[in-house]
Amino acid sequence: MSARPEPEARWLAELREQGLEAFAALPMPTSKEEVWRYVDLDFDLADLSMPEKAGTPLGEGRFTVAGIGGARIVDGFVDDIVQPDGVTITPTSEADPAALEAAAASVIPPDLDKFSAAHHGFGTDGLLVHAGKGVAVDGPIVIDVQAVTPNALSLPRILLVAEAQSDLSVIVVYRSPDEGTFYVVPQLQATVGDAARLRLTTVQAWGYGTVSVGQQRTVLGRDASVHHGEAGIGAGLGRLHFFVDIDGAGAHSEISGLYFGEDDQLLDYRAFINHRAPNTTSNMFLKGAVEDASHSVFTGLIRIEEEAQRVNAFQTNRNLVLSDEAGAESVPNLEILANDVKCGHGSTVGPLDAEQRYYLMSRGLDRIHADRLQVRGFFEEAIGKLPHQEMAAAIRRAVNEKYVRAQEEGRL
Amino acid sequence: MSTALAVRDLRASIGSVEILKGLDIEVGFGELHVIMGPNGSGKSTLCHVLMGKPEYDAAGSAVVSGTEMLGTSVDVRARHGIAQAFQYPTEIPGITLRELFEELAEQRADGAALLARVDDIAARLGTARFLDRPVNEGLSGGEKKRSEIFQLAVLAPAIAVLDEIDSGLDVDAVREVAEAVERMRGPDIGVLLITHYNRILQYLTPDRVHVMVAGRIVRSGGPELADELEETGYAELVAEFGIKQEDAATGDDFLAGL
Ligand SMILES: Nc1ncnc2c1ncn2[C@@H]1O[C@H](COP(=O)(O)OP(=O)(O)OP(=O)(O)O)[C@@H](O)[C@H]1O
Ligand SMILES: [Mg+2]
Repeated sequence: MSARPEPEARWLAELREQGLEAFAALPMPTSKEEVWRYVDLDFDLADLSMPEKAGTPLGEGRFTVAGIGGARIVDGFVDDIVQPDGVTITPTSEADPAALEAAAASVIPPDLDKFSAAHHGFGTDGLLVHAGKGVAVDGPIVIDVQAVTPNALSLPRILLVAEAQSDLSVIVVYRSPDEGTFYVVPQLQATVGDAARLRLTTVQAWGYGTVSVGQQRTVLGRDASVHHGEAGIGAGLGRLHFFVDIDGAGAHSEISGLYFGEDDQLLDYRAFINHRAPNTTSNMFLKGAVEDASHSVFTGLIRIEEEAQRVNAFQTNRNLVLSDEAGAESVPNLEILANDVKCGHGSTVGPLDAEQRYYLMSRGLDRIHADRLQVRGFFEEAIGKLPHQEMAAAIRRAVNEKYVRAQEEGRL
Repeated sequence: MSTALAVRDLRASIGSVEILKGLDIEVGFGELHVIMGPNGSGKSTLCHVLMGKPEYDAAGSAVVSGTEMLGTSVDVRARHGIAQAFQYPTEIPGITLRELFEELAEQRADGAALLARVDDIAARLGTARFLDRPVNEGLSGGEKKRSEIFQLAVLAPAIAVLDEIDSGLDVDAVREVAEAVERMRGPDIGVLLITHYNRILQYLTPDRVHVMVAGRIVRSGGPELADELEETGYAELVAEFGIKQEDAATGDDFLAGL
């Protein structure tokens, strides 16, 4: 790999330095490390090349949706910016320094692991979406992130800044061709200012030959609110390591999502919710299913710092295991240093419910359709909570289709 | 004309525990039969065994409209005309009752007709508000019972098995549910109603009343039998036909144990 120097803010230049250093110093992670357990990395980042320029972009896809503006990032290169009213969208290299400065608060540390190091050390260009103070837009910004050059590594970066009292709505769709191998280390970071609101939906619609090892971080100011919706559909290895830092008193983080693994997909979610201020709340609700030889992992840590009194924090993770060879891990954790908090987690892993099947069949549905209905109902609760309901139909279709296909092909 | 339901020497067990111990009952088309009996005597088991719930091993015979049902799957029985109102209806999260009907309509030859009567029946029973809610989810005990009778009215089965459709209902609801049952009755349907209470029988006149104890029908009679049981309770019948006394804790023992 080779670094691509470009004009950039000083803190970005420093990050790049740190990234290069960390990349040289850190080994490839192995599944012996707890946070990489279940992940079998059969490649070395250092062996991968990066495209010199963006490949030919994909046409419209099943998750293509209209927004009030947006951009495309192809193989890590930003293009096709459609500028909405009110919000500014620019490549980081052309961004207003003051706007960019606010993004520094939500940087994902380069020394997190070798992937983050690579991202910072070798990243090409980022996309900055900036909502100034008090700006509210009445529709989503849609970012279409693509990896299209086979066997290459791309490092797409999205920086969101919602200044105080602003209201920002962003949909990010990650995709790559169904055929071919693609390596991606996407990072998405969001600085959400005092009393600002961010609604963010991310759809992992990568092809099954894609390895995506992504990191995400949102940092919330006083009375800020973030609602993140996640749909994990594609990728051979789809990993999302994400951090929510609730730094401002009165802030609220909501995470709603679903994932469905088939074939030999590994969908790996690592969630770290940090309450660092009083009167803050967080809620996470994730539902997943696995079939064939796919696996899912959810580990969620809610950490409540000593100064974070009067916190409410909950996480729920429910998993359906639909085939004998499939597996789901669900490990919710709490680390509570404050004493005046309400915290809880619920986690289940199991097959389809026999009582539901019986009830539905007793109305006259055959087993296939009874189970289909149960799977649909299982995800409906998560789909209903997504912050962008305009994505619901496409996401619903994608998850239900996986199950129906497996039924029809006799894979269950 | 065949009968709606003809059960002969029906036995059922779970693992090594036999719950139904040779049971006979015959419900003709147009008839309403009532089964009463103490807790744990096997009434719900009978309903589930008729419906084909997989966890029970069943032997004997259960014929619906001339076709043997034992050995067939739950959905085959449902499509053949057995429908059960459950004592404890299962919640189906994320699927509304209307979606369930729509899915059913797609599976059934008479689907269009089924869908066409949903709204009419809902209006008549005052259950329209359940249609756009997930099946049984968040419904009160009484609402679940109404939703069950609503579903059965839409399904229009050959034999309706109503397992404690009147339990947990307020006085008005009992009357309304009884009226719904009465409207379901007709020459093409037999009804088997399981109840603990006489009050629903103020509105419905059964053709036969049966008493079930320890997995058997131990007495059958006309409507007056229900009144008699109200007076006497089951103690005598349990003593005569019931399981060994040490296994059958009486109410007094139970209270003493608290
Ligand atoms: N799935 C099961 N597993 C174990 N035991 C069972 C099962 N189903 C029924 N039984 C047992 O069989 C007996 C009959 O139960 P059943 O539910 O049929 O009684 P019931 O007559 O409907 O009682 P109630 O009036 O309380 O509803 C009980 O002793 C019960 O514990
Ligand atoms: Mg019962």
